[in-house]
Amino acid sequence: MTLSLFDQFLSPVVCWIPLVAIAITLPWILFPSPTTRWLNNRSLTSQNWFLSQATSQIFLPINPPGHKWALLLSSLLIFLATMNTAGLLPYTFTPTSQLSINMGLAGALWMGVVILGMRTQPTHSLGHLLPEGAPALLTPILVIIETISLFIRPIALGVRLTANLTAGHLLIQLTSTATLAMLTIMPVTAIFTGILLFLLALLEAAVALIQAYVFVLLLSLYLQENA
Amino acid sequence: MLSRLQAISVKVTDPFVSLSLVQASRSLQTSSQRLAPVPPLPDHGGKVRHGLIPEELFEFLYPKTGVTGPYMLGTGLIVYLLSKELYVINHETIYAICIGTIIVYGVKKYGATVAAFIDSINEEKVAKAQAAKDSHISFLTEAIENEKKEQWRVEGRGMLFDAKRNNVAMLLETNYRERQHMVTNEVKRRLDYQIALQHLNRRLQQEHMINWVEKNVISSITPQQEKESIAKCIADLKVLAKTTQAKAAA
Repeated sequence: MTLSLFDQFLSPVVCWIPLVAIAITLPWILFPSPTTRWLNNRSLTSQNWFLSQATSQIFLPINPPGHKWALLLSSLLIFLATMNTAGLLPYTFTPTSQLSINMGLAGALWMGVVILGMRTQPTHSLGHLLPEGAPALLTPILVIIETISLFIRPIALGVRLTANLTAGHLLIQLTSTATLAMLTIMPVTAIFTGILLFLLALLEAAVALIQAYVFVLLLSLYLQENA
Repeated sequence: MLSRLQAISVKVTDPFVSLSLVQASRSLQTSSQRLAPVPPLPDHGGKVRHGLIPEELFEFLYPKTGVTGPYMLGTGLIVYLLSKELYVINHETIYAICIGTIIVYGVKKYGATVAAFIDSINEEKVAKAQAAKDSHISFLTEAIENEKKEQWRVEGRGMLFDAKRNNVAMLLETNYRERQHMVTNEVKRRLDYQIALQHLNRRLQQEHMINWVEKNVISSITPQQEKESIAKCIADLKVLAKTTQAKAAA
């Protein structure tokens, strides 16, 4: 079947069964729960090591009450990283390239962090609306600007992830289409576009992991502010 | 669980059938029914060829098709899919080739190092436990040796007492001799004093006597006698001088 450029972003459905559920539950299969054994096999050891390193790194600047979010943020990291990297394989559907999933995650988590901050320490949270060391004359304007930036955050979080992944996937599609089209006409150019495709694929791999990390890092930053 | 389900469902109808069903399904349960000790994990995972295809397929096809059987199967399958356009070559194919190359290259280049690193994490765990165990064992061995040494020391206690006894006896002896020496010295000093006293007495007596004799003699010498003796001396001297002159001339 011929694929158009945007077919990869359609939510896959087979006989009206949405396969996006399987796509979203993929990380659950790939990361088994730790066993009761003292020494595990290689995959489990590497997963545990990576997760413990990442979590300790992310939660280093956060004070102890904020460590309650460790499970949520680490599982979020694993979820996003797996989805992004699984989307690099051909003919796969990347759930995190859909605005719906990303906005759902970003909006809910951001709101949770802000409400937590407002409930536990309202003065401190509101204090973030005025950055330190600003001249007194600019206070009203700054407060408005900071409020707008506060409310832009969930949109930014969601759209950042969506845009990065969608753009990457689209570029890959375009470059590979160009390579295929020119393979018969001008093979030399096809080789160049092929090299571009290699580099793009490497970039996409990096972006996949980085974007997941950035998402979680920003959330931890907001948590650090508010908790 | 399945056996229980079957047992419950058939229980109503026929006891013989249900019993035989339970017995039959028990043969399907291959894992051991015990929970502890936990059976050990195999050291290596299942063998795969080319990183994807399990070795069991090759072994399964070997009797009928030999060594090249599975490869022919794979090639034929791919050619079939391509020729019948069941798999259409589109842009994703190019991308699949690209990402496949990257993944294979990555695994081949960094696979061994990553595996070694992960193994080292496990090795460290084992090494830590082993180190703790070894340190405890060495501590206990040392304790045993110390105990044996103490026992050997206790045996030498007798010798120590003898030596101490000897020491004390020597001290006493030395002390006794010192005091004896002191006594001797004191006695000698007193006796020496008496001797010195006697000597002094005698000397005084002698000197006194000599002085008295001299005084008397000197007082008894008359001036006449003195002149005579002086003249005699002079005459003697002259004679002596003449003899010596004569001797010198000769």
